[in-house]
Amino acid sequence: MYVILVYDISNEENGPKTWRRVFKICKKYLTHIQDSVFEGELSESQIFKLKGELKKHLRTDLDSCIIFKSRNEKWLDKEFWGREDNATSNFL
Amino acid sequence: MKQAYYIFSNGILKRNDNTLQLVYEDGQKKDIPIERVDELYILGETSVNTKLLDFLAKNNICIHFYNYYEYYVGSFTPRESLVSGKVLICQVQHNQDHGKRMALAKAVIQAASYNIYRNIRYYNKRGKDLESHMARIENLRDSINYCENIEELMGVEGNIRKIYYDTWETIINQQIDFRKRVKHPPDNMINSLISFINSLVYTKVLSEIYKTQLNPTVSFLHEPSTKRFSLSLDIAEVFKPLIADRLIFTLLNKNMINEKSFDVDQYYLRLKPQALKLITNELDQKLKTTIKHRDLGRDVSYQYLIRLELYKLIKHIIGEKPYQGFKIWW
Repeated sequence: MYVILVYDISNEENGPKTWRRVFKICKKYLTHIQDSVFEGELSESQIFKLKGELKKHLRTDLDSCIIFKSRNEKWLDKEFWGREDNATSNFL
Repeated sequence: MKQAYYIFSNGILKRNDNTLQLVYEDGQKKDIPIERVDELYILGETSVNTKLLDFLAKNNICIHFYNYYEYYVGSFTPRESLVSGKVLICQVQHNQDHGKRMALAKAVIQAASYNIYRNIRYYNKRGKDLESHMARIENLRDSINYCENIEELMGVEGNIRKIYYDTWETIINQQIDFRKRVKHPPDNMINSLISFINSLVYTKVLSEIYKTQLNPTVSFLHEPSTKRFSLSLDIAEVFKPLIADRLIFTLLNKNMINEKSFDVDQYYLRLKPQALKLITNELDQKLKTTIKHRDLGRDVSYQYLIRLELYKLIKHIIGEKPYQGFKIWW
């Protein structure tokens, strides 16, 4: 499943700490493409694992995390307006 | 969906924040999501440390190294987690018992030669006259069943390959000057290309073997010897026509690779970095290609076909179901 994850971590009540943890967890599963945006191909079970890890840190009253799912990358029209960046490649 | 990551750039690969980080020479950093990595291929000059290896082992990731001439150097594989004494004993028994070993070796050659035949047939239909080669291969295939020992079988296999390689000058639209398969070291462009792509296929098979209980050093067709993983040679035999050879035909016929992709001063031994990237990318795409599996009734990728082949082998050696080599069915 092709996934785009975006989050918004509030700065209040130890916000930076939460932000750091969330960032590190997302980094393990997805490619970091922009400040609070990640994308990549994950399986159902990996999404479940990621969700479990994130839930421990997200504060339900302050932070939000949205995950957009698409069945396959080809159902996603990706357009670059401005600088083009092929960040998700597996050839480094 | 995990995938292979290929690293061409020079730099340092390390563990950072519980994931992988590649630090380029200019100090730029790039994170690699560890949960998505299936295996790593290092084709550039990369430094790694034990901390990283420990981390990879924990995540069950193989890392394969290639040297400056794209020659396979070796792999780091995590401590074997899938071990089964029973499978190992059965595997060794099948190697030791002449009859049992011949049965497996024949099945491998049957499948491999059929796939070779299919490749030629495909190009024959596309207006290249290869009828006589096809007939000769068919004849040789009939004699596989009458082989009494491994040497004889290898002889037949060698003859089939020779006829097969003879067709390459016809199949490939470029001037390739390919008379004979030469290794150690390859002597021209096409031989280098074959060597490089075959070595990639061997490593792919090896990674898949590590995902099963089989022992990569105990083989049936090739003689199990020290210092090499001969089982991966056996299995690769079946898949080379489908994966490696077809890839070579495409690369050359579409003129994606030509003389200019090689370092001429190095006797065509070394691929230029751009060409290297292109080939591995094409191979990666190829292995991700899916087909509908007849028995499983679902889509499987070429890479997974390799694993299925190994499972079939396990079933055979523990006596559950006789092994039938993979044959192109579409």
